[in-house]
Amino acid sequence: MSMTEGPAPVRGEAINLEQRAALSSFVGLSLKNGLLNLVTLTLYRFWGKTEVRRRVWSSTYLNGEPLEYTGRGKDLFMGFLITLAVFGAPFLLVSFTAQLLGPAVAALIILPLYLVIFFLFGFGMFSAFRYMASRTVWRGIRFEARGSARDYALSYIGYALLSVITAGWFWPAAQRRLAGLLWGSLSFGDRPLRFDIEAARKVAVYPAFILAGVGVGVMYAVIVGVVVLLSIGAKEAGASPDEISAITAVAIVVLMLIAAPLMVAAIAPYQAAKLRATAAGLRLDDAGFRFDLKWPAMAWLMFTNVLLLIVSLGFLMPLIQARTIKFLIGRLRSEGLADLAAARQAPQGPRTAEGLADAFGWAPI
Amino acid sequence: MQARFHDGRTAQAHDVELTLVDGAVLFYADGQAHRWALAGVEVEVLGGLVRLAAPAGGDGRLMVDGAAWRAATGGVAPSGKRFREARLIGALVAAAAAVTAFVFIGMPALSGPLARATPIKFEQQMGDSFDVQISAPLRTCKQDPAGQAALRRLGETLQRQADTPFRIRVRAVEAPFANAFALPGGAVLVTDDLIAMARSPEELSAVIAHEAAHVEKRHVMQAVWRSFGFGMVLDAVVGGGSGAGQQAVLLAGGLSDLRYGRQAEAEADARGQDLLQAAGLSSQGMAPFFARLAGKGGDAPGAAELIASHPASRQRAEVARARAKPGAAAFTPTEWAAVKAACVTPSKRPARR
Repeated sequence: MSMTEGPAPVRGEAINLEQRAALSSFVGLSLKNGLLNLVTLTLYRFWGKTEVRRRVWSSTYLNGEPLEYTGRGKDLFMGFLITLAVFGAPFLLVSFTAQLLGPAVAALIILPLYLVIFFLFGFGMFSAFRYMASRTVWRGIRFEARGSARDYALSYIGYALLSVITAGWFWPAAQRRLAGLLWGSLSFGDRPLRFDIEAARKVAVYPAFILAGVGVGVMYAVIVGVVVLLSIGAKEAGASPDEISAITAVAIVVLMLIAAPLMVAAIAPYQAAKLRATAAGLRLDDAGFRFDLKWPAMAWLMFTNVLLLIVSLGFLMPLIQARTIKFLIGRLRSEGLADLAAARQAPQGPRTAEGLADAFGWAPI
Repeated sequence: MQARFHDGRTAQAHDVELTLVDGAVLFYADGQAHRWALAGVEVEVLGGLVRLAAPAGGDGRLMVDGAAWRAATGGVAPSGKRFREARLIGALVAAAAAVTAFVFIGMPALSGPLARATPIKFEQQMGDSFDVQISAPLRTCKQDPAGQAALRRLGETLQRQADTPFRIRVRAVEAPFANAFALPGGAVLVTDDLIAMARSPEELSAVIAHEAAHVEKRHVMQAVWRSFGFGMVLDAVVGGGSGAGQQAVLLAGGLSDLRYGRQAEAEADARGQDLLQAAGLSSQGMAPFFARLAGKGGDAPGAAELIASHPASRQRAEVARARAKPGAAAFTPTEWAAVKAACVTPSKRPARR
């Protein structure tokens, strides 16, 4: 109907994303969700998660207008029950029977089962993405993920195998392609986003990937080396086996605590590069995206997140998710115009979803 | 009052004028009149703005100034929301309580009948599978084959007295703790630390006879069912059927740590003594062993594990003393020396008493 109104002087608008969440409000929500999870044996988690998403979405502003999350705890709960019936029960039955049939048969049955799980992992991630897209509304218009969860899952298995064969070398390329499959399937209403893999390739990820691999490898080697030397030294000093195992246990904990920030610092450049590559590939009409993301800030975010998680024994997860999204959206820039107003409504999304991803704890938020 | 309207068909924004009439929101957009009954309107407060939706009437949204909306409606709160949330939490807590009751009351009650109904062949196969898995961390002692042979013979002697289709196979294993335990299907494992702790053939044979009684009474299978039920529930509630619950139970409890409960322990004590007596062996070793455990739990490193899985030792010692009868020692002095040497390597720490 907007076609009859005549052409506008400028097609579309620039994209400006803002995250205005007051993080302090997520502390209270974290505590509420945590306590209710305790008294309900975690059954409350579907509703708790929904409330977290609702608050994060509605404090995310696109061109001055907040996003809206329309998902319900019940959707997640039903998805969970369906997953339980369709995958959980047969899986348990098979693995229990395998136990009864003896070790050789068990291995024969359980190994292919793990391949199936790998497939379901990819399938679940895409389904979760599709569900979240369909429950994300802006100016009354839904998002939609149009790709196939099965294709995504098959790609996931294929890329994972390629990465194994190439001793991990393919993994950054695999992650770029998987991000492309996910984000490239997205549309706002009927206006598709595109993923330009060539543009994404222009962001260098391999130097950071090598740094992460070498850094983490060296640190593990140092830890193992120190522990081995320590136990040899203790043995020569005449310590009993119990004393030696106590000494090495303490040494491992202390070394891991020292190494944790260093490992985060080693991994952060790759995490930042990966996100920059994903943003660089994403387009909506003539609008492109760019992450203004430096590794020290990324390292600090990751480090403080880990610290919050450990200190709060996992209770502050909602706060961690909110501050991560606030951090990322605050650094996402866009150039060029997108004709957002021309978007027409997308069909209703899946009725229930995500059970699979939720069951395995894969959904990012 | 002024509002911005999104019709839910395109992302176009329309500036509209809202009026509240007869419990409904009225406005015109695209030359069309819209009427949203307040009863069906969902209100979301977003900072200074309020977002209205009428799910029954489609995907349309109205963005209104918060203060103006409150002034016009008298601050219509989302009334039913709090009640719905309380009801939801109540239902979830009830569900959690039902699950807990199933684990701690239902499953223990069911485990006995389930164990007795489990086909012998199943239990044997499961035991073989457990045995393979447990052999990795708990390696069979290879220092003195004569000691292993003596243990094996004691198992066979007890089996002849017991009313069980399972072959009771006793062996000594290396472990960082003192304990003896039975696997499904009749395997009985005795750790090196426990052998080091035992002061006489009577003491060690009492512990082994106790485990043989667990096998005969199918307590092992009962514990497996109980932990399976627990794992299944954990899976269903928390893990979503990923098998994580089963893994968690296995990790937390370990195969060596199937708990039987006080009643089953008492039953195994008495039956173990009976088995020894029926074989013409002394049943006097059980009482001193338990008394020692109760007296000084810190007797040997790792004894805590034994006490945790065999509770209330002092009381059990008294009961065992009352029932004890003299008889032959389970091992000859030569056999006893071999059993004591079964796990001791020259490089290992000096053997305890």
